[in-house]
Amino acid sequence: MNQKNYARIVLVATLLFIYLIVLPIIFRNQRYLLNIVITASLLSCASLGVWITFSIGRINIGQGAFAGIGGYTTAILIMKAGFSFWQSFLLAGLLAALIGFLFGLVILRLKGVYFAMLTLSLTETFRLIFLNAEGLTNGGNGIMGIPRPGALSIAGITIIPNFGRSNIFFYYLSATILIIVFLAVWRLYKSRIGWIFKAIRISEDLTRSCGINIVKYRIMAYSICCFLGGIAGSLFTVFYQNIFPASFQVNDSVYFMLYCFLGGLDYLAGPILGAFVLTGAFEVLRFIQKYQEGIYACIMIALMLWLPNGLMSLNLGKVFGKRKEKELETTEADKLLKSYNPDSGRKSLKKEG
Amino acid sequence: MVIQMILNGLMLGLSYALIALGLTLIFAIMNILNFAHGQMYMLGGFVVYYFYYVFGLNYFFALFMCIPTLALIGVIFEKFFFRRVLTLGRREESSMLLAMGTALLLENIALIAFGYKEQGVPPLIHGVIKIFGGYLPADRAFIILMSVLLIIGLLVFIYKTRPGRALRALAQDKEVTYLMGVDVNKITMLGFAVGAALAGLAGGLLALTFPIFSGSGTPITIKSFLMIMIGGAGVVPGAIIGGFLLGMVESFGYGLISGSMTYLIIFAMIILLLIFRPQGIMGKPWG
Amino acid sequence: MYFEMKDIEVNYDHIRALKGISITLEKGNIITLIGANGAGKTTTLKAITGLVKIGSGEIWFKDQRIDVLPPQKVVSLGIAMVPEGRHIYPFMSVKDNLLMGAFLRRDGQEIKKDMEMVFDYFPRLKERLRQQGGTLSGGEQQMLAIGRALMARPELLLLDEPSLGLAPNLVQRIGEAITVINEQEKLSVILVEQNAKMALKISNKGYVLETGNIVLEQESKDLIKNDHVRKFYLGG
Ligand SMILES: Nc1ncnc2c1ncn2[C@@H]1O[C@H](COP(=O)(O)OP(=O)(O)OP(=O)(O)O)[C@@H](O)[C@H]1O
Ligand SMILES: [Mg+2]
Repeated sequence: MNQKNYARIVLVATLLFIYLIVLPIIFRNQRYLLNIVITASLLSCASLGVWITFSIGRINIGQGAFAGIGGYTTAILIMKAGFSFWQSFLLAGLLAALIGFLFGLVILRLKGVYFAMLTLSLTETFRLIFLNAEGLTNGGNGIMGIPRPGALSIAGITIIPNFGRSNIFFYYLSATILIIVFLAVWRLYKSRIGWIFKAIRISEDLTRSCGINIVKYRIMAYSICCFLGGIAGSLFTVFYQNIFPASFQVNDSVYFMLYCFLGGLDYLAGPILGAFVLTGAFEVLRFIQKYQEGIYACIMIALMLWLPNGLMSLNLGKVFGKRKEKELETTEADKLLKSYNPDSGRKSLKKEG
Repeated sequence: MVIQMILNGLMLGLSYALIALGLTLIFAIMNILNFAHGQMYMLGGFVVYYFYYVFGLNYFFALFMCIPTLALIGVIFEKFFFRRVLTLGRREESSMLLAMGTALLLENIALIAFGYKEQGVPPLIHGVIKIFGGYLPADRAFIILMSVLLIIGLLVFIYKTRPGRALRALAQDKEVTYLMGVDVNKITMLGFAVGAALAGLAGGLLALTFPIFSGSGTPITIKSFLMIMIGGAGVVPGAIIGGFLLGMVESFGYGLISGSMTYLIIFAMIILLLIFRPQGIMGKPWG
Repeated sequence: MYFEMKDIEVNYDHIRALKGISITLEKGNIITLIGANGAGKTTTLKAITGLVKIGSGEIWFKDQRIDVLPPQKVVSLGIAMVPEGRHIYPFMSVKDNLLMGAFLRRDGQEIKKDMEMVFDYFPRLKERLRQQGGTLSGGEQQMLAIGRALMARPELLLLDEPSLGLAPNLVQRIGEAITVINEQEKLSVILVEQNAKMALKISNKGYVLETGNIVLEQESKDLIKNDHVRKFYLGG
């Protein structure tokens, strides 16, 4: 037990060391490689959101739409309304969460393929909205020349100075945000809310019958997902300094899903691992340009055929991924729900909102 | 003007119905959303392009060749990919990601084999038919006719033949279908093959009016999802209604407003529809 | 022996549902399996038709080993099953449901004749020929399920709780129908029932199943008088 914990701490520390110190030092003069790691960090952030929707039993192919919302909010606020990056970053996340909340009221009633198909078309819908709202978005021409983040000062005190176009700064910005997001989600899944999310996936009816307002919780999960999509999109936009309707498409939404799968749906670190491995592999495969996407497709197929539980289900999972949560049967859902003692039992009599 | 849009809508709607039927068939039988459906449509176009235009063979032969080609691809997918994942996989997400992988795979094979370029085939029948002041190119009239014939053919197959009955049975209750003595594996494979062949035939037909290129698959996949959401997934009449409606609305939208605005409105309407009827218009497991 | 199960074990993931049961049946007889919920009755029938894989043991039917065959082969040998909860096709007409029962047969004329035979047993079905299966009443659905099994012209009929959820007078009618079919069509029957009274009345021999084991095996007329059976299955 202790030994296992020890191994885990060592592993986490090593990974953090590599991520925060080794990689930036090695790549400091190789802008291109540094950019890849930044991309992977941001993709992880959005994929974590998708992972949350997986955890409540919904297949979400719509994260691209919310990345787009976040991106355009940031671009418009900075370029047209003169906001600073920091303000618009926060607003981008909140707006994405709000829109996710409103859609969630309606579409979370759907399950399975219907939810998947609908979120897929959501991505396409928002692409078209960005294309058509020319007054705000410049249509197909996109918004270009967006400045990188400036200084952040609160009450006259400069907290983050202006780093100009330094990529190292952006590297640490994305790394910090990914780590904060990961810790926040990890904390969430340690709490009773995390239990409820998992219970919802196993059986909505059973969870409801335990007196839990599942509508509230699944909307919460979806809004968090959209928030993460929004802030990732916002960062992407200032990182690339431009945004187009085609910046976030259906394929991107599919890839967010893929990252979760590759890492392993049962593990919180799964989407991060998936995003880093695939983004890295993607760059390696770039050398065989012509066949790149085809090989990518083969990875997807092979993964489902031979490694349906993702990379984390390999040995690595034993050290890092805590205990592996098996596919829970309904009886186990029962246990799960019993072990969590709803402190507000009286709510059970109320109908869901 | 209105007549013209109706004529275009007829052609689109009927050929879309064909596409949606294939998708819904595969969904009903295996509970798989075939993301590669659009790519199968695209390959059908290339089959016709090669047999009809490049090799200079008879068009009907070229169109017919869509059936064995796509059926073979369907059988391979079913036998080597989906069957394994469906028996192993405990989450429905797995088969969905697999389906996305097959779509990407087909698209890339096509890209390598055929390049990016848009291709076209010479018209089959020259001339234009004038109906109530609208113009209908003879090829489009031909597409309408063929789509209707194929839809009728499929309905007869599903509702009147022995394998068709087994397909319906399988979609409604798998376990009991074993007890009827049906070779479930074989029938599942048949269903996938028929679904794929339908997409190919639609591609082969529409090759007469639309450009053929390796990237044409994804938009068709998205459209076919919309069709079965409108009509109800896994329901035969729903697929026909969904396909026909989408084709008509698209035709009117393109005539009256811009293409992307049309789809924006369609998406909004579908979301509204699903609020009131989450299962689509004909929503029930199987009809 | 016409039909025999030897030491059959069946395991679901972690649960051992059958712990080595043996059953024999002579041609033309009706045997019944009775037992409480979860005793393993349905599992026994599924093992016969190949719907679940058996862990060990052998199943023989007419001098052929059938536990190695896939379901469709077992069915083609003349074994038909009426599953628990009927499982008729809800979106198919009564006629198509019946035709599905005859799926393996190619003799069109004979199929028509057999359909008439089914209508003789269950005239109600004839009136509802075009109605969708799912819209039939519970009793009608049970008739359809039995009729569908008969359409295969089986030699051995497996019935899983045909009286489930039916009113007492209907239970009696189903019981009578089984007897008549057994006599007229020279059919052997394995009848699984919770309704032990009806089952023991119409069967030749009975087996009592408890948590995967056969605990009693006697002529039905003796079993009715057995204290254990009276206490636990006939309500005192
Ligand atoms: N698919 C399955 N997976 C796991 N366990 C199963 C499965 N089917 C049945 N079991 C278990 O096997 C045991 C026997 O089940 P079975 O259905 O054979 O009982 P039964 O005698 O038919 O009961 P009933 O009278 O309620 O129909 C039960 O404990 C049941 O929970
Ligand atoms: Mg049972």
